[in-house]
Amino acid sequence: MANKVVLDQDSMQRALTRITYEILERNKGGQNLILVGIKTRGEYLAHRIADRLEQLEQVQIPVMAIDVTNYRDDHLDSGDDLGLDPAEKLNIANQNIVLVDDVLFTGRTTRAALDALIQIGRPQAIALAVLVDRGHRELPIRADFVGKNIPTAQNEKIKVKVKEFDGEDSVEIVH
Amino acid sequence: MERHLILEDGTVFSGQGFGAPATTFGEIIFDTATSGYQETITNPIYDGQMIVFAMPVVGADGIHAEAYESTTPKIRGVVVHDLAEVSTNRQRRMNLDRFLQHHNIPGLYEVDTRKLIRHLRETGPQKATIVDVVDDHAVDQLVATVLTNKQVQNTATPKAYANPGHGFHIIVIDFGLKHGILRVLGDYDANVTVLPYTTTVDEVLTLDPDGIILSTGPGNPEDLPDSVLTLIRVLQTKMPLLGLGLGHELLALANGAEIQALPAEYHGMNHPIQEIISQQLFYARQGRGYVIDEDSLDGKKLFVTHRDLVDGSIQGIRLRDNPAFSVQFFPDGAPGPLEANGIFADFFETVADYVQKNS
Amino acid sequence: MYKKIVETPVKKVLFIGGGETDFGLQGESDAAIYQVLPILNGLGYTVTVLDDNPYSLALESPAATGFLRTLTVQNVKKIIKSQKVDGVMPLFGGVRALRLWDQVISEWREADGVLPQTLGLSASELHEVNDGTLLFDRIEEIGLSVTASAVVHNQEEANEMLRDLELPLVIRAHNPVQGTTRQIVDRLDDFDHVVNRVMGQSLTNEVLIAKAINGLKEVSVLVVRDRDGNCLQVGASEDMDPIGIHTADSLSVAPVLTVSDQILQQMRIQAFAIADLIGLRGVLHVQFAFDEKTGEIYVIKVSPYLDHLANRMAVMTGYPVMLVAAQLAMGKKITEVYLPNAFHEKTAIMEPVMDHIVVKLPVFSFGDLEAMGIKVNRQLNSVQKSVGSALGFGRTFVEAMEKAIRSAHFNNRSFSPKYMADVSDDELIQQLIHPQDNRVLLLIEALRRGYEVDELAELTNIDEFYFYQLNRLIEIEQSVDRDNIDADALRQAKKFGLSDGLIARFWQTNFQAIRTLARQNNIQPTYKALEPSAGEFPEHARQFFATFEEENESEPICAQSVLIIGPGAFRMGDGASAGYMTSVTLSELHRLDYQTIIMNNNAADPTLLPHLSDKQYLEPLEVSDVMSVVDKEQPHAILVPGNRKKLIEALQEMGQHVIVFPKEKHHPSGPEKHQSEFSLNFFYDGEEKHPLVVTQHRPGEVRILDQAIDPALLDDLTLASPGLYQIIWRVDLDAWVSKIPLPDLRVDTWLRPMPYGHIAYLTKVLDIPLGRMIVRAWVGQLNEADRQYLAAIKGQHETAKLAMVAKNTDFDLHLQPDKAIDLTRFEMGAKVVPYESENSDGQE
Repeated sequence: MANKVVLDQDSMQRALTRITYEILERNKGGQNLILVGIKTRGEYLAHRIADRLEQLEQVQIPVMAIDVTNYRDDHLDSGDDLGLDPAEKLNIANQNIVLVDDVLFTGRTTRAALDALIQIGRPQAIALAVLVDRGHRELPIRADFVGKNIPTAQNEKIKVKVKEFDGEDSVEIVH
Repeated sequence: MERHLILEDGTVFSGQGFGAPATTFGEIIFDTATSGYQETITNPIYDGQMIVFAMPVVGADGIHAEAYESTTPKIRGVVVHDLAEVSTNRQRRMNLDRFLQHHNIPGLYEVDTRKLIRHLRETGPQKATIVDVVDDHAVDQLVATVLTNKQVQNTATPKAYANPGHGFHIIVIDFGLKHGILRVLGDYDANVTVLPYTTTVDEVLTLDPDGIILSTGPGNPEDLPDSVLTLIRVLQTKMPLLGLGLGHELLALANGAEIQALPAEYHGMNHPIQEIISQQLFYARQGRGYVIDEDSLDGKKLFVTHRDLVDGSIQGIRLRDNPAFSVQFFPDGAPGPLEANGIFADFFETVADYVQKNS
Repeated sequence: MYKKIVETPVKKVLFIGGGETDFGLQGESDAAIYQVLPILNGLGYTVTVLDDNPYSLALESPAATGFLRTLTVQNVKKIIKSQKVDGVMPLFGGVRALRLWDQVISEWREADGVLPQTLGLSASELHEVNDGTLLFDRIEEIGLSVTASAVVHNQEEANEMLRDLELPLVIRAHNPVQGTTRQIVDRLDDFDHVVNRVMGQSLTNEVLIAKAINGLKEVSVLVVRDRDGNCLQVGASEDMDPIGIHTADSLSVAPVLTVSDQILQQMRIQAFAIADLIGLRGVLHVQFAFDEKTGEIYVIKVSPYLDHLANRMAVMTGYPVMLVAAQLAMGKKITEVYLPNAFHEKTAIMEPVMDHIVVKLPVFSFGDLEAMGIKVNRQLNSVQKSVGSALGFGRTFVEAMEKAIRSAHFNNRSFSPKYMADVSDDELIQQLIHPQDNRVLLLIEALRRGYEVDELAELTNIDEFYFYQLNRLIEIEQSVDRDNIDADALRQAKKFGLSDGLIARFWQTNFQAIRTLARQNNIQPTYKALEPSAGEFPEHARQFFATFEEENESEPICAQSVLIIGPGAFRMGDGASAGYMTSVTLSELHRLDYQTIIMNNNAADPTLLPHLSDKQYLEPLEVSDVMSVVDKEQPHAILVPGNRKKLIEALQEMGQHVIVFPKEKHHPSGPEKHQSEFSLNFFYDGEEKHPLVVTQHRPGEVRILDQAIDPALLDDLTLASPGLYQIIWRVDLDAWVSKIPLPDLRVDTWLRPMPYGHIAYLTKVLDIPLGRMIVRAWVGQLNEADRQYLAAIKGQHETAKLAMVAKNTDFDLHLQPDKAIDLTRFEMGAKVVPYESENSDGQE
């Protein structure tokens, strides 16, 4: 059966725009803000939010990326490799962090990212922005900024594509 | 029958009369769109104004039931180069000529409209009259005429009414709204209540809405009572709010910005509008005589979200601290491009978010 | 590590040209390429052009390196290698260039090096566009309506589709050998035959069968899109005739008049959605069908490349479609597009709006063919029959239509409105249902005979609006007819676009009398500027059209201007090369610092390109139209093609300085099958005659001989004006030769001006700017280099082995003539083909 597109390029762009405005609403501007994208697609999304902030406020918000594939509690080879380039490690102490991911599902990825962040510093606050919240949480985690709530069945998959990596922008439900 | 358009500066344009044979007074402006004359003529924002169309042939598509933007047109006169006589409603009884007759609105055709537009772009909008005879009396009448500034009162609903749906409860505060707004809200299956602009905070909140829309409307926003601004200042902190056209100007006023009259009004749909945050361009129907004064805008309170790339004017603003935003143009189209429809999608996403967080 | 997408910037661009003129392809590709070359050059790109069309102007542009070569995969590869091309622009050469580049990509081997970037469209999208069906599947997937269709491989599958979809059906070749081959079948008897025939036109023997939607309204929308997805609508145009008649053969009008804003806005976003779908950077033409009864909109054709509509929209709106499209294809954002100073700084990003009406009328050559005893099928259907088109500009529909009729048929008697009185009632009904080339006049005649608007609208599927308008025209004509010679009637008639000549005929007087009456009563045209803001902004417009209102916007440009009378619509014969020759003339006069004014009404050739002249009048070319412009501009000189005898006389009577461009009234007939026609070609500079080369001409092909000519042979000739001439003789000879004994030139030969096509061909093959030299001779500015060229040639030129071959047009498909058509006289276009030796049989 064919995949169903639930967000096209235009609505995906608008969702990111709305998230950006909400981040500014919450943070009273961009002071002490750092965006942390969860690899792979969260990183691209974080950069897009940063681009938007720059267009709107003429400020450059630092962006860093973390790779948590080896950090999840359900991953066999749990280790402490964050996939972080030392040069990219920003000082996050007393900063307002916004974690950016493409899909929020069980919450395990987010938890891994939180663990990782706390290892490298002690931020003022951490908020979570996701493009899609598909439900089925296994952990007490809730997104502060949601592009689109898409209720799904357990056996469905959500496929997020970003232009920079996949050549197009879309969110599809894969049956 | 030969009739004449006299402008306040004394210039006279002659043509043939159509529509109602009445004498009319109004402020004349020009419109450069090539489609949607019926929607434009019936848009209540033209209360007290006359329009000259740049599109040289007007009326070729007749009059359609689905193209009304209000039940009673408030426009004062229609000036065209060539009038087409086509009836397209099912009874084949209504064309533009008969439509204007029916609503007692005079029209003038066989006018050198390009000359008139080139004149108006230099002078700006002018007081004008359509008459049978050009004489001192007609000119005196024109000079003596004071055009109303009570257009909102003229066009907006005096009483609340509902347009029920099954979705979010949206309150539209009516300053002379065009039907396009209700049409789009219908697309979202919103449960709509339209309230008069004289409504109070209490009345609004008692209805327990999920979001507020400040409608489009005619005239100068500064002619409205201060109570409107007070109302907006309260509502914008309570729930998502979207301002359109006059509603956009009012949101700006309510947040300390000032409004200026434009030297030459713009009525058309061919200017690029840029959404600043994404740098994307799109086109939308515009009809504006006023603009937010750039210098008066408090950057700590408001963002500029959209600009017209031709004249640089502010086309959208957003509150920094609340999900309240507004646009100068008409995202509902009717007439005009549909690509700005996304503004409504944004609004409904914001409303959904608000409802979810407050439930 | 996060990276923004950075594409390696292209530096060296190859444009693939559109090839020879044919049905559906006039000079628009070449005009488009020619226009963008200087801009791209100025932006720092090195540009190369490949085309096999000897009439190409782009190949001669100083802003590019031109290659006159056959359009083959090998030649494209060779040029890519030799010119180090890193980007290829296929979107300016129509379907043919698209196919060729697609083929090059599929045949690209590692040994060929790095494949250049495809500009404007990704290689994979280009492939899908070429395929057609794949693209339409995707268009359907994004929720747009297309008509039900399927590809079939044999008669059995075709029969299956026949049962599924039911008649009428549209049948066309999948992967066709050439252009459009759409045919509509509404009779069961025709089905097998058409399927069979169309299968033969497919490279892959596949046939596409779709449900026909005859009778619906057709609307064309033109949009541009940049790499960031910013889209802008350039314009839209509607066809008066319903679907079932090829859009090229229909009267069409812009802006759209009879479709509501709501429907137009739907079409607009659908066109944007398709541009997004294929990730286009450039221009897109989408054809829609609109069913007024159901409100349904169907996408019927998608053309993501420069085509006739793009050129026409540029002329109709003043929006520089080609300059914008080329830069978008190079990867610029629409906000970054560079335009020359003549444009308003916001022109590229403002959607153009029109405050005038433009009617496009097709031009058919049936009359010319019938004059030669060739009968063709005049009935209009889904296969194009018109060979060209003319535009009429006005401020009302009737005015624009009248001017279009006058532009399209200025020398065709059958377009006199009284002509139709002879048609019998039965014929009239037949032709209403099965329209022919005289469609508009027939509709008028039907109204005259008392048919009601309602019944005509139902019978023809033409919007009622048009019948109301035609009724107005009848009223005007009747009022002119009835009245005695009268200034008010004249004013009314002029306002609706009637020419002095026509009014004179009604009043049984001559056009001079009409002109006098007009002048006495101050009935003068007012010229309105054509510019894309519809009066919103002050403009520096250089395009004007006449109307009869209050304000005139056109002022004479200068005392020393030269007015050039354009060739008008493309007709069979040397029409394709007339555009070339006129453009070369404009370009050369401009180079010599003359202020030039062009009058023309054909958007498909380069003559109306804004940078070729200082001022453009978009007008019919009848005597009265030209006279009015002459009155306004008072030009220093007027350049008129030699076949416009009446105009030349009238201008000379006025005391104007007329320069006659030598040209025969009719394009010459070609030699018979067994014959060779030889031509001694020479240049006359006003004083001396300079022989060039001898050419041999056999049916459909011209080659250059390798022999010297003694200039003394030409001593006795006397000629009226400078130019290129041919001394012609025919020999019973059906083989190519390299030398031919010259006959006694005084006895067995005749003299004629060199046809434009030969000028274009010899210019390229001999590498001498012959066209420009004629212009320089006219104004007494031949230079030393020219004299050296002429001295050097003396017939001993080592000629390039390129023959000029007439386009092998599929007349059977388009016109169904009852006998063979002389390809010299009724040429559609030409290409060059290399040949091996002088004595080969002429086949490739």
